[in-house]
Amino acid sequence: MTCVELQESLVENESGSSAEQRAHLKNCSECAKLVAELLVIACSAGDLRAAHEPHPRVWKSIEDSLKREGLIRPQRRSLSLLPSLGSQWSWARWMVPAAALLLVSLGIYLRQHSQTTDTGAQNVVNAPAVVSDAAVAGLNDDDLLQEVGLQSPALQEQYADNLRHVNQYIQDAKNIVAADPNDEEARRTLMEAYEQKAMLFELALDRSLQ
Amino acid sequence: MSGHTIQLATISAVLAGTIMSGTLLAETHKEYRFNVGLRAGVSVNNPYGSVSVKPSTGNIVVISAILSSDKVEVDNALVGNRVEIQSHLLPGADAQSGRVDYEILAPADASITLHSSNGSLRAEKLHGDVSLEGAAATVDVRDISNAHVHIKTLNGPVTLSNVQDGHIEIDSLSGNVTLRSVNGPLVQVVSTSGGISYVGDFGDHGDYRFTSHSGDIDAVVPGSTSADVSARSVRGEVHDDIPLQPKQHTSFVLKEGVALWGTMGRAAISSTVVLRSFSGKIHLRKRASE
Repeated sequence: MTCVELQESLVENESGSSAEQRAHLKNCSECAKLVAELLVIACSAGDLRAAHEPHPRVWKSIEDSLKREGLIRPQRRSLSLLPSLGSQWSWARWMVPAAALLLVSLGIYLRQHSQTTDTGAQNVVNAPAVVSDAAVAGLNDDDLLQEVGLQSPALQEQYADNLRHVNQYIQDAKNIVAADPNDEEARRTLMEAYEQKAMLFELALDRSLQ
Repeated sequence: MSGHTIQLATISAVLAGTIMSGTLLAETHKEYRFNVGLRAGVSVNNPYGSVSVKPSTGNIVVISAILSSDKVEVDNALVGNRVEIQSHLLPGADAQSGRVDYEILAPADASITLHSSNGSLRAEKLHGDVSLEGAAATVDVRDISNAHVHIKTLNGPVTLSNVQDGHIEIDSLSGNVTLRSVNGPLVQVVSTSGGISYVGDFGDHGDYRFTSHSGDIDAVVPGSTSADVSARSVRGEVHDDIPLQPKQHTSFVLKEGVALWGTMGRAAISSTVVLRSFSGKIHLRKRASE
């Protein structure tokens, strides 16, 4: 298994626990480092979610107590941007920044690592195209648009338009980097393109949409 | 005019008056005052409506809020040295009834954080850090010095005027960004499809970086400007009306009409300027009055 094959296989098995992956990781410190970082990010996201989302029974108990005491009024509208993303999308509160970080980290890693390995320029061109952003980060444009459409149909078209543009931006930036992996400005632009997409998700899921 | 028409007009006027008076009655004005220390923080989250921040005299924060209806409340708190304001939407609130317009007076050294979905965000005459975020919010920042200015918008236009010695980072998906007399150690604008317009002199020893995927980038500078300029548009065009001393070594191939790299003015005191687009046009021009 080559470095590129290992990176591709992480889409299916991000823990690096398969026999082939383990064999490669034993002899490749760079890939081992990548897998370790991915696991740290994934675990951190899980910890954050657990730390900030008590069991529903806890909320229910608190709510009942407050109602008995007459201390709460009818339920207010949530302050969050997409309040009813609630149950289905509650994980997204932590997954979006984690996913954005993952995207950027993986983007940087793929670029740097592709240059340092002896797999040649061809692999530099192929690696990013094979590793799907959505698969790696769990970001799904369709899901986001669907939720935006449910909450604010008037904004769905705007978000769809911006998503289309930013995806094109990422693709163009990838192509430039692939054509000249030594172009530092191009690599920086690719990072900026990813950051723009992360910001779009952040704006949709955070505060600015009501 | 027939009697019937007059009757209709009278009824319409009465109805309109009733509706207007109802609206006016529903609108309420509230004011909150907080004594704060040096370098206080002020945070406002306002889903619908505008927020404007100006300097106060003394260490006091004064919040004036106009609430459109009883469908929205203002939650306010002083947490440590930080004033936190939240427009609290009640059930049934929409963009009209949930609107709150804020006028805020804060110490000039306060750090300001504003969020709004669709109102205008404005900060002026401050020297504390300013962070503004909104989807369709119009952003206007002026007369700021020695501060970090961070702005994020989806499609709202952003205008910065007279920002000196700033550490400026602007991210906009599709809103146009206009900078007038803006300088500092870092001035960075990234946009996906919005245009970027800069009118100023690029200061000295600053790092200016403007990137738009498909928007145009237009920079207008005085002839006395000193800067190392690199500009490249992958599928668009690059034009310059200012003679540049070409660089001996460049990190990308210079094709006429799509890229340029050179020095204007005195390189010893110059800033670094990077203009980059994929399909937009880049135009570096000398100010017309010279």
